[in-house]
Amino acid sequence: MSSSPTFTATIEKIIERTSDTRSFFLRLANGQKLSFLPGQFLSFLLPVGGETLTRAYTIASLPGEETCFEICLNQVDGGSGSSYLFSRKESDVLCFTGPWGNFVLDQPTDAEYIFIADRVGVVPFRPMIARLLTVSGHHTTARLLHAAPQVGDLLYADEWQRWKRQCTHFSFRPLVVGCEPEEYSMEKVLLPYVEQHFVKEARQYSRRFYICGIGRSVLLLRDLLRGAGYERQAVKYEKW
Amino acid sequence: MAKLYVSFENGNPEQVIEFDPFLAPFHHDGEPGSILDILLGHGVELEHACGGNCACTTCHVIVTQGMTHLTENEEEEDDMLDKAPGLVSTSRLGCQAVMAEGEVKIRIPRHTINQQV
Repeated sequence: MSSSPTFTATIEKIIERTSDTRSFFLRLANGQKLSFLPGQFLSFLLPVGGETLTRAYTIASLPGEETCFEICLNQVDGGSGSSYLFSRKESDVLCFTGPWGNFVLDQPTDAEYIFIADRVGVVPFRPMIARLLTVSGHHTTARLLHAAPQVGDLLYADEWQRWKRQCTHFSFRPLVVGCEPEEYSMEKVLLPYVEQHFVKEARQYSRRFYICGIGRSVLLLRDLLRGAGYERQAVKYEKW
Repeated sequence: MAKLYVSFENGNPEQVIEFDPFLAPFHHDGEPGSILDILLGHGVELEHACGGNCACTTCHVIVTQGMTHLTENEEEEDDMLDKAPGLVSTSRLGCQAVMAEGEVKIRIPRHTINQQV
């Protein structure tokens, strides 16, 4: 059990994002507000099997959405935490601590920001990019690469497309493999793309990379970029 | 059998855990046989906001003796430890440092919170 302050929230709404991904909109008790940094997560205390599981889920909300906020997660095969949450319904209550985490957007600079997302790993980038586009005006270029097995597995795709139309300095590049989820590997799609565009072609060492995804492929991307000469602090990542 | 000595900066009484490393995992969070796994499996609390997945620094511990009995840091752990408050040269993440033998002494810092706003 965590020794940190515990918050209670009610599930106000549940949205099916893809076949295995849902958003839960949570409202804190007593009109409390959640103050968070883009990219941070909440640590949920889930009563499963007679004990309390600690499971982290990233905040998907945009900065400023503090009274009713969103977490977005996929159901993991055999995952006790996600299975518990996927069996919840609206009006159910959840307990959590936080927000936590260091995978957050640094103070924006004029650098080019490259966000590399594998499936549900795009969630922390939603508030990060929103913040970046808001505070940096037209001084910062941001690119989002979002890989998924199928077009329908792309998360927040309409929103990325809208931001792209509204902000000439933001680009969205979906990388869809066109395969079944069980055949999908981010190594097949993200690694070759990143190698081609950020390693073999012009290397601009002022770039800042943020990588988020599932499994060790995230570390392969990290190693590829750092091995190509990008500074350690310029390649940030979170592996789920 | 191996021994893990645990002291707390917040003044809680020291604990000694004697365990058989071959019986790991003792719990379901952290790497099997990690300091976090050993502590939780023997009823000693250690914060682990990310669930023991090397995604935060709340399980930061300071090794005061027996560093050689722990697995070496990987780059992922080092990247995360960079953000830990009160970092010292023998800092480890409890969820990543696996103990397979011998005697190790650790101290649990008073402040484990990282960038909670």
